[in-house]
Amino acid sequence: MSANSLKAAHRRDVLAAYLFLAPFAVIYATFLVYPFFKGLWISLHDWELAGNYREYIGFLNYEDLWLDAIFWKAVGNTLNFVAMTVPTMTALALVLALAVFGQGRLKGVLRSVFFMSSVFSVSVVTLIWSMVLSADNGLLVPLFNMIGVKPINFLGHPTLAMPSIALTTLWWGVGLPMALFLAALSQIPPELYEAAELDHAGRFTVLKNITLPSIRHTVLLVLVLQIVGQFQIFGQAHLMTQGGPANRTRMLVQYIYETSFRDWQVGYATAMSFGLFILMLGFTMAQLWLGRKGDE
Amino acid sequence: MHKTKTLQRLALATTLMTTLWGGAAHAVDISFFRFFGDCKTEYGEVTDVSKANGECGIITALTNKFNAENTIGAKVVTQTVDWGAYYDLLTATYSTGNIPDVAVMHASVMPNFSDRDLLTPLSKSMADLGIDTKDFVPAALKNASSGDEVYALPYDLHALLLHVNMDLMKQAGLVNADGSPVLPKSPEELLAQGKQFKEKTGKYYIGSEAQSAEGMMVRVFDTFQWQQGVDVISGDGKTASINTAEGLNAAKLVSSIFSEGLANAALDYPGSEQAFLNGETGILINGTWGVDNYDTQAKSGKVALKDYRVANFPQVYAKPAVWADSHMWVIPKDDSRSEEKTQAALAFLKFLNDNNFQWSRTGHLSVRQSVLNSDEFKALPHRAEFADTANNATALPQIQNQRAVYNAMITDFNAMWLTGTEPQAALEAMQSGVERVLRRNR
Repeated sequence: MSANSLKAAHRRDVLAAYLFLAPFAVIYATFLVYPFFKGLWISLHDWELAGNYREYIGFLNYEDLWLDAIFWKAVGNTLNFVAMTVPTMTALALVLALAVFGQGRLKGVLRSVFFMSSVFSVSVVTLIWSMVLSADNGLLVPLFNMIGVKPINFLGHPTLAMPSIALTTLWWGVGLPMALFLAALSQIPPELYEAAELDHAGRFTVLKNITLPSIRHTVLLVLVLQIVGQFQIFGQAHLMTQGGPANRTRMLVQYIYETSFRDWQVGYATAMSFGLFILMLGFTMAQLWLGRKGDE
Repeated sequence: MHKTKTLQRLALATTLMTTLWGGAAHAVDISFFRFFGDCKTEYGEVTDVSKANGECGIITALTNKFNAENTIGAKVVTQTVDWGAYYDLLTATYSTGNIPDVAVMHASVMPNFSDRDLLTPLSKSMADLGIDTKDFVPAALKNASSGDEVYALPYDLHALLLHVNMDLMKQAGLVNADGSPVLPKSPEELLAQGKQFKEKTGKYYIGSEAQSAEGMMVRVFDTFQWQQGVDVISGDGKTASINTAEGLNAAKLVSSIFSEGLANAALDYPGSEQAFLNGETGILINGTWGVDNYDTQAKSGKVALKDYRVANFPQVYAKPAVWADSHMWVIPKDDSRSEEKTQAALAFLKFLNDNNFQWSRTGHLSVRQSVLNSDEFKALPHRAEFADTANNATALPQIQNQRAVYNAMITDFNAMWLTGTEPQAALEAMQSGVERVLRRNR
C-alpha cells in the first residue's frame, strides 16, 4: 500500500470515528457542557425565576454562601445523611446479595422481593413510610400501645427524623446495588471456590480471600453511585419532614430548590449547586483514587 | 369511487357536527389554578352552593354553578395544586408557558408578582363589569392594589382564631357567667389558666401545628409582637425587628406554653385538628378557615367535640392585634392569551364576586361591606363570637418575599420546643435569617 492510500485510509478512519462520536458529542455538549457554563454565568447574577430581572453581581452570591448558616447546616445534614446511608446501603446490599445468590425457588422469590421496592416512585415510598412512622395512626402505634409506651413521633423528633429518612432510603434503594453485587458474584470463577473447598477453607476465609477481592471493582462502583445518588437526596426529606424539625433534615438540594423556586433567587441557588457539585466531585474522586491505589 | 364519495361526505358531516356541537357546549375553556384541595367525589356534581361545606366544597360548587349557568359558553377547568407546592408551580408556569387564566393568590404574596408586572391590571375591567371596588373594606382593597392599580379581586380576610371545646373549659372551671370561655388578658393569665386547665382535665390546654411545616406559632409570635407595638418588618421591607426586648417576651411566652406542657409539641397540622375534634385539646389555634368545618363536625355528633365555640385571639399585651392575610383571585399576565379567554376569566371573577357571601360561609370574613352588613351574614353561626377579629386583623407590610421571610422564621422558632434552643438564640437566628432575605429585596 502506498503512503498516499494509507493516509487516505487514515483520514477515512478519523472521519468515521468523528461521525460515530458526533451524536454523543452533540448530546453531551447540549445537555452537560452548555448548561454547566450557563449555570456558572447565572451564578454570577442576581437572576430571578419569573420576570426579566438579571443583574451582574460578580461573586456576591458565593460570598453570601460563605456566610449563610442554613447553607452550612444543609451541607452538614447532607453529609450526615450520606454517612448514614452509603456504607449501610453497600453493606446491606452485599449481605442480601450473598444471601440470595445461587439456585433455588425461595432465593429467586426473595431476589424479586428485595428488588421490588426500587420500582416505586419517591412519592409512593414516602407515603408508605409516613404511614408506618406516623405517631397519630401509624402502623407502629398499636405496637407502642401494646407495650404501654406513648407512640414516638419519628418524623417530628429532632434526633430520630434523619435516621427515619435514612431507613426509608435504604428500603427503597437497596435493590439496585444488590442486583449489581449479584451480577458480580456470578462472574467469580467457580474453580476458586472448588479449590478453597479442597483446602477446607472456612466460610469467612472464602469471603475475605476470594469473594470480596473478586468483586472489589463492583464495591467501588456501588460506593461511587451511592455517593453521587445520596448527595442529591431531595424527595424523601421534602415530602416527609419538609426539612424539619428545626432544620435537622434540611438537605442541600432541598435548600437549592427552595431558594430557586420559593424565593425566586435562581442566581444564588445556582451558586449553591456549584457548592454541591464540588462536594460530590471531591468525594467521588477520593473514592476512585482510593480504589485505584489498591490496584497498584 | 362511489364508496369513497360516501366516506368523504360522512367525514365532512362528522367534522361539522363535532365542531358545532363542541362549540355549543363551550366556546372557551379557561384554566383555573387553586389550592383548597380536591373534593370532586363529594361535590363534583353539586351546583347548589348552599349544599356545599368547607373551602373545598364551596369553591368546587361555585365553579360548577358558573359552568352550568354562564351564557357566554365559558368553562372553567380546575387544576388543584397541593398547598405546599402551589406558589412554586404557579411561578414555574411563567417559564413553562402554561400560565393559568385565573389563580388564587394570598395578599402577602402579591407584591412578588405585581412588582414584576406579572399580573393583569384589573381596575378598568372591574369598572366595566360593574364590580364596585368601593364596596371592598379598605384593608382588602389595599391588599389587592399596588400604587393606583388594582391587581386582584379580594375574596376574604382570614385571621387566627381560638377554636374552643366548651365541655373541657367547663371541666376546667374556665367559663364566664354568660357561657363564654374565660380567656387570658395577660401573659401571666395565659400560663396560669393553662395550668389550671391541665390540672383539672389532664389534657392539653392548647393544640396547634407545632412542627416545621405550617408555622402556626410564627403567626402567634407576630401577633404577640404587634400587641406590644412592634412591627416585625418595617413598612419599606428593609429592616426586621425580631431580636428585640418585645421579641424576647413573645418568644419566651410561646416557649413556656410548650415547656410547661400546656401544648403538645408533636402535632402536625392534620394531627392538631384531629386532636381537637377528638376532645384531646381545650383550645385549637387555627384560622377562620376552620369554623364551618369544626361546626359541622361538632353538630354531626360523630366526634368527641360537642360544644364548639369560637373566640377572638386574646389580647395579652397592650394593643389589640392578630395575624391576618387575604385570599384573592388574579389573572396572571400572559401576552398570548386571547381576548375571548380574558373576557371569560373576567366573567368568572365577576361571578365569584357576586357570590362572595357563599365563601364567607367557610368562616372567612367577607371583604364586601354589603355582605358584612347583610342579615344572612350576621345569621351565620359563631360570627358574633369573633366579630372583633375584623377590626384587629394585622398583616405584614406588602413587601416582596414574605414567604421566604416566614419560612426563615419557622424553623428557628420551632427549634425552641423541638430541640431545646434558648429563646434568645432562636431570635438571633431568626433575625439574621430574615435580614438575609430582606437584603435581596428591591
